[in-house]
Amino acid sequence: MDRRKFIKNSSLASSLFFVPSFVKAFSNHISAETGYKRLVVIQLTGGNDGLNTLIPFRDDNYYKARPTIGLKKEDLINLDKDLALHSSLLPLKKMYDKGFLTIINNVGYPNPNRSHFRATDIWQTASRSNQYLQSGWIGRYLDQNKNPWGAIELDQSLSLALKGETQNGLAIQNAHSFFRATQDPYLKNVSKYYDEAHLNEHNMGYLYKTMIDAESSAKYIYETSKTVSSAIDYPNHHFSKQLKTTAQFINSGLKTKVYYGSLNGFDTHVNQKGTQKRLLSIYAESMEAFIKDLQAKNTFNDTLILTFSEFGRRVKQNSGHGTDHGSANAIFLMGGKLKKLGIYNNLASLSDLDDNGDLKFEIDFRDIYATVLNKWLDVNHEAVLLNKFNQLDFI
Amino acid sequence: MNKLDIQHLYWRAGFGISPKQLELLSQKTREEIVGDLFSKAKIHQPLYVDTSEFDTLSYEQFSRTKKTEREYIAKSRIKIKELNHEWVYRMSHTNNVLNEKVTLFWINHFSCHDRNILHLQNFNNTIRYQGLGNFGDLVKAVSREATMIKYLDLRQNKKNRPNENFARELMELFTLGVGNYTEEDIKEAAKAFTGYSFDFEGNFVFNESNHDNGFKYPFGKAGRYDGDDIIDTILEQKTCAEFICTKMYRYFVSDTISPDHIEEMVAVFYPKYEIEPVLKYMFSQDWFYKKEFIGNKIKSPIDLLVGISRVVPLNFKETNQLFHTQRLLGQKLFHPPNVAGWKGGRSWIDSNTLMIRLKLPSLLLSQAYISTNENKESLKTLSKNTAKKENKSNYKVSVDWKAFNSDFKDVPIENLTNYLLQSPINKGTQEYLDRLVKSSKKDYCVQIMSLPEYQMC
Repeated sequence: MDRRKFIKNSSLASSLFFVPSFVKAFSNHISAETGYKRLVVIQLTGGNDGLNTLIPFRDDNYYKARPTIGLKKEDLINLDKDLALHSSLLPLKKMYDKGFLTIINNVGYPNPNRSHFRATDIWQTASRSNQYLQSGWIGRYLDQNKNPWGAIELDQSLSLALKGETQNGLAIQNAHSFFRATQDPYLKNVSKYYDEAHLNEHNMGYLYKTMIDAESSAKYIYETSKTVSSAIDYPNHHFSKQLKTTAQFINSGLKTKVYYGSLNGFDTHVNQKGTQKRLLSIYAESMEAFIKDLQAKNTFNDTLILTFSEFGRRVKQNSGHGTDHGSANAIFLMGGKLKKLGIYNNLASLSDLDDNGDLKFEIDFRDIYATVLNKWLDVNHEAVLLNKFNQLDFI
Repeated sequence: MNKLDIQHLYWRAGFGISPKQLELLSQKTREEIVGDLFSKAKIHQPLYVDTSEFDTLSYEQFSRTKKTEREYIAKSRIKIKELNHEWVYRMSHTNNVLNEKVTLFWINHFSCHDRNILHLQNFNNTIRYQGLGNFGDLVKAVSREATMIKYLDLRQNKKNRPNENFARELMELFTLGVGNYTEEDIKEAAKAFTGYSFDFEGNFVFNESNHDNGFKYPFGKAGRYDGDDIIDTILEQKTCAEFICTKMYRYFVSDTISPDHIEEMVAVFYPKYEIEPVLKYMFSQDWFYKKEFIGNKIKSPIDLLVGISRVVPLNFKETNQLFHTQRLLGQKLFHPPNVAGWKGGRSWIDSNTLMIRLKLPSLLLSQAYISTNENKESLKTLSKNTAKKENKSNYKVSVDWKAFNSDFKDVPIENLTNYLLQSPINKGTQEYLDRLVKSSKKDYCVQIMSLPEYQMC
């Protein structure tokens, strides 16, 4: 899109949306429009240990491989006859009971990479393990969608996942400070005078385009989102704040399709038990508050939440009462319109591991992306994932 | 040497150059100027903060109770911020810029974090000291640093109970790059690095009883290798020299790789792995000064921050403000995002970081005010956004405009862009600059530094 057209579109957009949000300020009881689907992606950064998250408590191999960090039956919350949740995940059990949760086991990809950096890259770019892509899967979705505020990461900086070839997502922690940062008169003049030849082709064009996008997006997002506030109590944690802001954005009717958040600290090589317990409870309690917040404004049914981690961990614990980097892992899907509820597929065998002693993968993570893209975000997944993948039936 | 080339060299091997120094150097040849950078870098000045309160600290004292332990860690955290501040100050004021730029490069290559100020300080100085020496020696020294041993779990790597973290990152990030080794190589190498440990002060300790003295089979070889042997074996592979030269090229020359240039560098670097000659070679080539490379790199946040304070000398009065600024810009020194370090290039830039970058010069230098005053002819044609002067910056910094004035005394105001910008100015932006009243060098300096063009070097 050239710059003039872009500005036209975005000013049109903001004037269109300004009126309803203005009205909304005086009629907070009116819920946001329904039918506008959104995706929330959450990364548990560092490689969450899936086997101590969803525990195969009837399998002796589990306790044999994990003599000191294996979770005892009294510390677990049973889901079905074979699998139980970590005791920190009680809120997830409630979602499970209400039919808001689907767990897909053994998600991974062929020839898994066990470095945080590379594995995160693979998940974020949706590449093969021997392929290097410079853009993220959400970024390439934005390339199709061409909406400068189509995706927001609730962080100070933007992950590769949200970087497209021609369109980036936005990193926003606080809509007001983001808006204020774009209101300098001198900078506004500079972007007004900018001669758009070669926009985005060189580093310099990239800088100017980012500046122009930021100005128009900040205005729209701030003016739209300031009309709602939340009455729900969230835990006091950085991650919870991300979700609270996300709920505010969603509930204000912001035309953003994808939100991206993350909870860090899952790289538990040493003394895993305490760390993971603390992190999982932050995760579960925050998600519970988030969902309540969405339900209060009737937006939960139009929201799909996908939680993943860049890899699972080795089945056998290490000498430091922790676990080393593994491969296949479980992913969580939450939403009000899930099709296949509960446990989607059986956990892979603990007695038939790969050469590294890790779980064998069964479902390619790009099948999950493809399903979300086609069935939830209504785009052809092949254009975004650069290949054809299977469709699953969880939504 | 022409001025643009000198500025280019000084941005890539340092953090920019002042008009006075530029004038001085413009009489010299490329060989002299490059040689001068390297001879200054021969003098190593370690970077220390006052840690005397830890001087007499023993392990027993430190770990007496959980509480004392926490207190020392909290103190250490403050000291690490001070070290960060000290380093930024050093980069902003030293005339041995190459040493600091190279240290930044390796610190990001051997990306690490530590809560212990003493260990972290040693690690930083080891790199500062050996950054222009032999690459093999540098890798070996790094593998013995307490900070690295902790960061990649080498202490947990024991005979019969290997932890592969260090062995993996050694190959993936420090020497060979993804795809140039197998999972088997990692497992075998991990065995060789068993027994690595350190004492309370951070000195390397080799723990014989934890070391696996058996045969290892990395890269199709067999032997009772130790850690250093593994590093030597890795360095025998030309792939390692290619990987390191490519990384240097990306950092010092361009985001886009030219295989021919890399090949030339590898020919200098391999098989001895001496760092100084290869960098000197790189800075001396005609291709290093090609037009397409000049002003086409996006500055790192530290380059930007240090670059500003080398034009207008400034110092943060509150260490926390400096630290917070680094956080907003996306580069907290000593706190890399992960073991792969910062990616650099366009990944520095998104809506947030860019808006902060553009506002930073005015926040630091002129109470967040960027003048929009236009000359008389321009005012007649269009009315635009105008800035009102109000005190809006919370920054507590000391700013030395006197030094700026003396440095730029002989520079006519309309030539200021030549000294502050490396890249060509966008046509439209130039039109806007032409409209501005240019009566104050100070105002114009802030205006120029607030442009997207100033993000490039």
